[in-house]
This record gives sequence, C-alpha cells and structure tokens, in this order.
Amino acid sequence: MKASLSAPAGAARRPGKRLVSAEEARRLAARTRAGRIFAVVTFIPVVLAVALVGVLLLDTLLDTVSWQIVEPSSSTSGESFPWSAAPLGGREVIRLDLAAQGETPEDVQAFMNDPEELRLFEARGRIELMWRTEDGPFRWVVTNSRDDSVADIGLFGVNAYLSELRGELAEDVEDLDPAEGGLLGRLQGADLDGLFNRFANIGLLSSTLGEDQNLYLNPWLDLSFLTKNASRTPVVAGLKVALLGTLWVMGLVILITLPTGVGAAIYLEEYAPENRFSRLLELNIRNLAGVPSIVYGILGLYVFVRLAQIGPTILSAALTLSLLVLPVVIIAAREAIRAVPSTLRQASYGLGATKWQTVSEVVLPNAVGGIVTGVILAIARAIGETAPLLLVGAVGFIAYPPNGPFSRYTVIPSQIYNWIAENDVEFAHVASAGIIVLLALLFVLYGVAFYLRRRFERSW
Amino acid sequence: MERKTPGMLGRARAVGLNKRADRRVGEAVIGTLLLLCALVSVVTTVAVVYSIAEETFQFFREVSVVEFFTSRVWTPLFENQNFGIAPLVLGTLMVTSIACVIGLPLGLGAAIYLAEFAGDRTRRTVTPILEVLAGIPTVALGYFALLFVTPVIRDLIPGVNLFNPLSAGFVMAFLILPTVTSISVDSLRAVPRSLREAGYGLGASKFELITRVVVPAALSGIIASFILAISRAIGETMIVTLASGGRPNFTFDPRQEMATMTAFIVQAGTGDQAAGSLGARSLYAVAAVLFTITLVLNILSQQVVRRFSEKYE
Repeated sequence: MKASLSAPAGAARRPGKRLVSAEEARRLAARTRAGRIFAVVTFIPVVLAVALVGVLLLDTLLDTVSWQIVEPSSSTSGESFPWSAAPLGGREVIRLDLAAQGETPEDVQAFMNDPEELRLFEARGRIELMWRTEDGPFRWVVTNSRDDSVADIGLFGVNAYLSELRGELAEDVEDLDPAEGGLLGRLQGADLDGLFNRFANIGLLSSTLGEDQNLYLNPWLDLSFLTKNASRTPVVAGLKVALLGTLWVMGLVILITLPTGVGAAIYLEEYAPENRFSRLLELNIRNLAGVPSIVYGILGLYVFVRLAQIGPTILSAALTLSLLVLPVVIIAAREAIRAVPSTLRQASYGLGATKWQTVSEVVLPNAVGGIVTGVILAIARAIGETAPLLLVGAVGFIAYPPNGPFSRYTVIPSQIYNWIAENDVEFAHVASAGIIVLLALLFVLYGVAFYLRRRFERSW
Repeated sequence: MERKTPGMLGRARAVGLNKRADRRVGEAVIGTLLLLCALVSVVTTVAVVYSIAEETFQFFREVSVVEFFTSRVWTPLFENQNFGIAPLVLGTLMVTSIACVIGLPLGLGAAIYLAEFAGDRTRRTVTPILEVLAGIPTVALGYFALLFVTPVIRDLIPGVNLFNPLSAGFVMAFLILPTVTSISVDSLRAVPRSLREAGYGLGASKFELITRVVVPAALSGIIASFILAISRAIGETMIVTLASGGRPNFTFDPRQEMATMTAFIVQAGTGDQAAGSLGARSLYAVAAVLFTITLVLNILSQQVVRRFSEKYE
C-alpha cells in the first residue's frame, strides 16, 4: 500500500525539470493537488460522524442537569450540606437532612429501611444540588417539590429565560428600582438570539439574581434514579420498573436464542446437505435480518399477543425480540464455527468420534468466544429496540416492577419513549437520564464483547 | 438441549444396548433437533407473511385497492375514514430522501477515506466510533432529533414546524452512514492490488486511481450498501415517530409535519383501536406495503452483489 502510494508522486516529480513543458508540469501539480483535496474532502464525513456522536452524548448528558431560581425562604428546610458530604446525592442526602432535623441515628435507620416512608419523603421533597447558596457554592438542599418558583430550565435555556425576564422588566419600566433598571439595561444590551452565546450569557444570568434568590442545579441522574418506581410526577420518576423489565426480557431472550441460534448455526455449518433446501434456508435467514424491526412487532402483536393469547406480557416481548435477533445470532455463530479449521474436525473423526461428539467436544469449545461475542452484540441490539415492543405491550404507564413472565411490563427504551411523548420539560430531563443509563448499559456490553473478542482471538 | 445427549448415551450403555445402533439413533435425534432450530427461521418468515397477509386480506374486502393506492387522504383512525396511503408513502420518501442525500455521500466519502487514505491508527480509532454510532438506540437518536436538531433547524430556517422531516432525515443520515461505510470499506479493500498497480503504472494520480479504478471496481458492493441503507431508512421507526410527527400530510414542503408508514404503525398499534376494526386492520395493510418495499430492496441488494460483483482470482 505505502509503496504504491508514493509511486505517482515520485513519477510526477522526476520529469518536472526538462522532459516536461511548464504547461504539463502545472497539470501534473494540479492532479497531485486534486488527490490531496480529495483526501481532505473524504475526511470530512469521518469528522462529522465522530462529531455527531460527541454532540449527541454531550447534549444528552447536559440535559440530565437543569437549573432553576428559587427563593430559599419558601422552599428550603434551612439546612444545606456540602457536595462532598454526599457526592452521589439521593439517599445519602435524606439521611443527612433527617439527622439535621434532630432524629436519632436509630430513627434515621428505621426511616431509611421503610420503603413507604421513603416514598412519601421523595414525593414531598426533592433533593437538589444548589449552585449558589449563602453557605457557599455546590451544596445539597432538600426542598419541597411544590415550591418551585420557576420551572426547570435546561442548560441551554439561558437565553429563553433572560429574554422572558427582559420582556417582564420592560413592561413596567416606570416602577423599576435603580438596580432593576440597571439589569434591564444590561439585558437590552445583551444578544439573546444567537445559537452559541448561551454560555456567555450564564454570567449575565448570575447577575440577575436578587438578594433572596438562589440558583439551583438539579441533577436528574443520580443513584436514586435507578431505584425509584415509575411516577406521573417527573421529580420522583425512576427507572426501576423499566430496568427490571429489561432484565427479565433479556434473560428470556438469552434463554431462547442461545440454544436455538447456535443449534441452527451448527445445522447449517456442519449438518446441512448441499441442496436447494439448504440454500433456501440461508437465503431466508439473510432476508430475515433485513426485515424492519417494526414488522416483528406486528408479528408479535398478531401471533403472540392475540393468537396465542399470551397478552401484552414479558413473555410476548421476549419471544418477539428473540425472533428479531435470531438471524443475527445465527450469522455470528456460523462465522465462529466456520473459523474452526477443518483439520481439527478430521482429527476428531480420525479418533473415531461421531459427528455430534466432534461438534460438541471439538468445534463448539473452539468457537465459544465468537459465539458468546455474537450473542452479546445481539443482546445489545435487542436492549435498544423500542418500536416492536411498543406494539406488544411496552406502552403506557406501568407503576410496579414485573414479577414473572406473565406480568405487564415496560423496558428502558419504551419507558424513555413514553417520557419523551409526555411533551413536558421536566420529563425530557428524566428521559435524558434514562438515555444515559441505557447507553451506559450498552457500552458495558460492547466493552465485554470487545474484551472477549480479543481474549478468544486465536490464529490457526 | 445439547446436554441431554451424553446422558442418553450413558443410560443406553448401562442397559447394554448395542452401542453402535444407539449412537446412530442419538446422532439422528440430534440432527433432527438441530434441523428444527434452523426451521425456526422458516416458521418466522411464514408467520410474518401470514400475520400481515391475513389482516390485509380482510382489510381489502372492505376498502377498495384503487382507493388505497390513489386517494390522497389518510384518516383511518377518525370518524370520517379515508384510506389513501399516498401521504404516508410520501412522508417515508421525504424522510428517506433527505437521509440519503446527506447520508449516502457522507458514508461513501468516509469509506473512501478509511479504505484509501487513513493510516492504521486512524482506522482503528474511527471504526469503533462508527460501530458505536450504529449501536446507539434509535429512541436516543429520536430524542436528539426532537430536542437538539429541531431547535437548531428552526433557528436557521424560518417557518419550520416543531415536527418535521428535516431533522428526522438529518439524524437518520447518520444512522445509515455506518451501514454504507462498513460495507463499502469492505468492497473497496477487496479491490486487488494488481488493479491499483496497473492504474499507477498507466500514470494515474491517486485521485484518478480512486475515481476511475477503485470505486468502479467496487461499485457492486457500494450500490448494495446504498440499497441496504435505503431499506433501513424506510423501515426506521423511532426517529420519525418522535421527530417527524404523526399527522399524515400530502405535501412536498419538508418544513411541514409528515407522518411516515412506520410512524402510523406505532400510532395505530399503541392506540385503543378495537382488534378487528377497520382502523386496526389498516395497520396491517400499511405494514404489507412497508414489508414488500423493504423485501424487494433487500433482494435487490443481494442480486446486485451476485450479478455485478467482479471476481478477482
């Protein structure tokens, strides 16, 4: 590759002196330049794709934090705790708050162990990371959830908030005191329309705060997000129900697809005779892999939910997703099996082993790395699937975790979809927190698959 | 399933049956079990076709095929029912075209860079990132389209609706990009060295070599990747459901809300339509159209690879 790369450049340079006219030399230079420009042009899409991944991750991550301006007199319990006292927030802050209210350690422990008390506490109050308080920056405060003076605003909502404030101030300009008049002047001088000056305006935002106002930072993603049940109130909505739903569905999907997918792969690689039927099987699997996932949802709705009368339950979801990822598992397992060299098989037959003994004792142990990696990647795909499950029951409000294959359920992506569909600013923050959890889960799976691929990689 | 067999063999030995005959029976049983596993995929295909065809057939007993394909109004879930699939097909085409106009050239460009220009290190860094892009759940992409891309587009272009095919198409472009890139890279790298060297030997520059020799030689794979990407875009559901909206709209203005076929399927499938009602059956009719289009595209892409790929040995 490298050698052939340098060849034309050298060829162009050498005759540059005498053999080629100035005109032709120019043309040669232009041709070389075209190659360089082409390299830059084709590099742009790579940059764009990488940038999009970055922007998507950053935007979603930033959306898990929001801010609001609150009057402390009406909303805080009077105590605040430094961020370092409870870096993960959630339960630990409740513990600190109870202790600050004068509860004995035993009472605090009893309270923490009672889920009903905790639920009530979380329904009444919200735990917020305060950006600026009289005690100092970055402190936890427990506030009353009905006390919001301003709705939650995303990090990018600075301009919208400031222009609204400017409008309010400008309306009753005669009644303004000097400080507010100065603020109005500053606001009128600021550019609140551009896309990229939001960050510059954060400083302006700080200067709009009155004496008795605090700027809150609300982290929507903390550990308690994973343990809270679903709720119709954004601040207390958690991912527990959907997380358990995903675990149930994925467990069943593994149980169904692993034996079936590997079995089908063994059949196609080791047993299938060379005939039309086998070719048809292969063609069929390849085409199934290209069927849109929503069509599997229709299959699940018609066959499992209605015909088999399993209903919109975990089992229906698992069966639907199993059929969806089966072609992926089969294709991956076949590749792993094919990579086992035939000399090993022949050696096994030579020792008098039967076909199945060869497959189970020689082929499968040598293909296990590729098979496991393929299954993990298939599961990662299944975890992120939303559309088919919306048709087989993962829709609407599910308040309690599933307790078996026949219970109603929701999974993480469909829970996220429902939160987005609420069309509410605060639920959008909850949805972004859910997306981060989902992506983290997927990255762990990809990491494991990547590690296994390396680990089991061998050359024959 | 596989575990059972040694046990069976062991028990047979204890009873003292003829080992060889028993082995043969065991082998046959296993072979049959494995065949059954492989047949699951056939059953799946039959079930897909059956579940769609059965209800679609019922649907067309009540709605005329001509109306379905020629009317421009689609309101099956309303009191005054109209069944013209045109607005949904148009919505799908609009989003898909926007995604393809952006995504196909970008995907091919990235493939050319990765296959022809990139050093080993760049390739090893970029390829996993593209895999991550391909693995991002579409609901996350839909969230991004609705809450990040749409506000930006509305800032830049006046008169854009909150739900619009522009932002859905833009984000979908990056969904299909990895599909195009990974398949195209493979086919570009499969172009044999001898062809490249022959090109250089004739005095071609790098640019000329890529555009006149390498890309034409890999064209079948590139076209197949394009067709697969289009098929994927047509069948994509969550991005369009979230960002492009649910109101069927027969318009060629991409700033308007437009429902796609997949968005309608989600809408009808999650609503409270009584099973067996005409509204619920319309879902299967739309699915039949969607399934047919994607199937034809998938077969087409395989045909392109088989017919037009050049074998270099």
